[in-house]
Amino acid sequence: MSEIAIKSKAPREPLFSKKNKKLITDPLTDNNPVTIQVLGICSALAITVQVSQGVVMGLSVIFVTVMGNLLISLLRNVIPSKIRIIVQLVVAASLVIIVNEVLKAYLPDISEKLSVFVGLIITNCIIMGRFEAFAMANKPWPSVLDGFGNGLGYAGLLVLVAIFRELFGSGTLGGIPIFGNSLPGEESGLYAMGYANNNMMILPPMALVIVGCIIWVQRSRNKSLQESH
Amino acid sequence: MALNKESNAYTFGFAIALVIVVGTILASLSLGLKDKQEKNGVVKKKMDILKAMLPMEEANKIDRSNAEENFNKYVDLKNALVLDMNGKPVEGNAFDIDIKKDYKNKTLKESDKKFPLFVAQKDGKKLYVIPIIGKGLWGPIWGNLCIGEDMRTVVGASFGHQGETPGLGAEITQQFFIDRWIGETILDENGDFTPFEIVKDGSGPKPQKVDGITGGTITSKGVEEMANRGLSVYATYFKSNMQ
Amino acid sequence: MESTLDIFVKAIFSENMIFAYFLGMCSYLAVSKTVKTAVGLGAAVIFVLVVTVPVNYLLENYMLKAGALSWLGDEYANIDLSFLSFIMFIAVVASIVQLVEMLVEKFAPALYGALGIFLPLIAVNCSILGGALFMQERQYSTLLDATAFSLGSGIGWFIAIVAIAAIREKIRYSNVPAPLRGLGITFIITGLMGIAFMSFMGIKYGKDVKKEKAPTTMVGQINNDKN
Repeated sequence: MSEIAIKSKAPREPLFSKKNKKLITDPLTDNNPVTIQVLGICSALAITVQVSQGVVMGLSVIFVTVMGNLLISLLRNVIPSKIRIIVQLVVAASLVIIVNEVLKAYLPDISEKLSVFVGLIITNCIIMGRFEAFAMANKPWPSVLDGFGNGLGYAGLLVLVAIFRELFGSGTLGGIPIFGNSLPGEESGLYAMGYANNNMMILPPMALVIVGCIIWVQRSRNKSLQESH
Repeated sequence: MALNKESNAYTFGFAIALVIVVGTILASLSLGLKDKQEKNGVVKKKMDILKAMLPMEEANKIDRSNAEENFNKYVDLKNALVLDMNGKPVEGNAFDIDIKKDYKNKTLKESDKKFPLFVAQKDGKKLYVIPIIGKGLWGPIWGNLCIGEDMRTVVGASFGHQGETPGLGAEITQQFFIDRWIGETILDENGDFTPFEIVKDGSGPKPQKVDGITGGTITSKGVEEMANRGLSVYATYFKSNMQ
Repeated sequence: MESTLDIFVKAIFSENMIFAYFLGMCSYLAVSKTVKTAVGLGAAVIFVLVVTVPVNYLLENYMLKAGALSWLGDEYANIDLSFLSFIMFIAVVASIVQLVEMLVEKFAPALYGALGIFLPLIAVNCSILGGALFMQERQYSTLLDATAFSLGSGIGWFIAIVAIAAIREKIRYSNVPAPLRGLGITFIITGLMGIAFMSFMGIKYGKDVKKEKAPTTMVGQINNDKN
């Protein structure tokens, strides 16, 4: 099994064959895990107040989906089917613990803000969904690509929502002021003209409304995705 | 050897092997990173203390990389004191006291709680840094108040929060809010404790009244409660040690 | 320091699992098409939360936390197993769900008929693990507080899913723009409900109320908040 995987790695072309490419690009658009498959919203939206948090969370999820898919795919022929769900959970949980410990050690400030939401990656349905639906039945390399694509689709949406919320809610992007200085008494840029941040964007419910609007835009452009009710 | 994948023995064997492998990996990772994580906590605490005692321009230069060095420059932990609830110094290591844990712990008696007091030296003057903790609207808030050499004037402060509403309650970390505390006194001429009162924004400076934050009333009230409860212990100590 | 009642009420309203933390959104969106199924899932979530959070609380305080093993003897007092908490919590949740499913099937077939199909769904419901993780993060000091928190969170989740299911049943007769139908409008409605729930924020309960001398202060504060 592993021999085939190594072989397919050697020539460049089949590595990113059309089919493999699709594994990455599909989840980004028409098969997005969040807006289409409705998976993994749980841990996503509460931390999209700042772009930096969204990026770290997105990268953590990509790490877990890629590594998890790889491990499950490598083990797929030895996992006893009776306990496969538990094995998948253990793999997911261990990877998340690794992410959490590393974040705590190297990015303590962001780790503090993400608090319990790193732990909640375990129950992110994308992870378990991809393990069960793809990695259990496919070779390692496509599984890695699939994990990467789905992780990226999730991360992309997180960052997109975070951009809206941080830009309009705090007037910054990645902590850098975009509209000028908003400190009372020393306003500059747009603030000097009377612009004010929309504090509403920072409150949790607005994340849902933004995702709703993203779904709206996506489905207006691709009519086949529309639901009857 | 032909393995029957569905047999109970195989399932058990697999489960045990998995647990051992996962356990080993995680335990070694956790041990390997533990020192760094603990150090992060220590550095954070030192940063908070420094932020309270230094003026804004200097405090902004403090980050994780130089906190340790600056902390050692100003603060000698050997001079730090541990007080009991009556403001009497007792034995103990001030830096190791986790006031957050004590605050949350309902079973701990008030009389068993310990209160750390850090003593710093800056430009030949003594500064006293008092860590305080309380609750805001959404979660815990904390801070450090810095009292000057006269043992009654607030010369600096820093506040932190976990998840106060951005733009409203979260503004307590901003310099403009901290500025409102500086110059307030915690003891009157007789050395008696005078509690703070947070008042509505914009009513102008008055003694013992600190302007709250518009729209962040509950967080501001939380800061008031936290400062008064925290300071009341130290006030007794300051009173008995005032020249 | 919060009173137990305080924790309970807060968990239902201002710290609602769905509206403030988006926990359990997957099943919330998938199983909210009719009120009947929503009630079933909501009840199952309350049940599982109330069972798992106290168990995880004991696990956290007598096994995982730094120094938690000191009851075994002084030489164990320095052990800190908290890095294992994620894996332990999820294992506890998964096995308790399994156990509960078997017990309910054996001893209460009627209840099993109502809740049975939802129980497996719940093992990977974020609100259950979320309940355990929040319990750990907030360091509740007694078992009673942890239980009150879990019951409150469960009830909050129940209210949320039943409310959205009722709205979705009605909205079928409305003329929603085609691209928004189904998922899109559900998201937006949930957002609006979340905003409505935010008005529960800052309610003063228990001890805090006693401290306020005159009711006018409260009015003053509310007005101040609106500024």
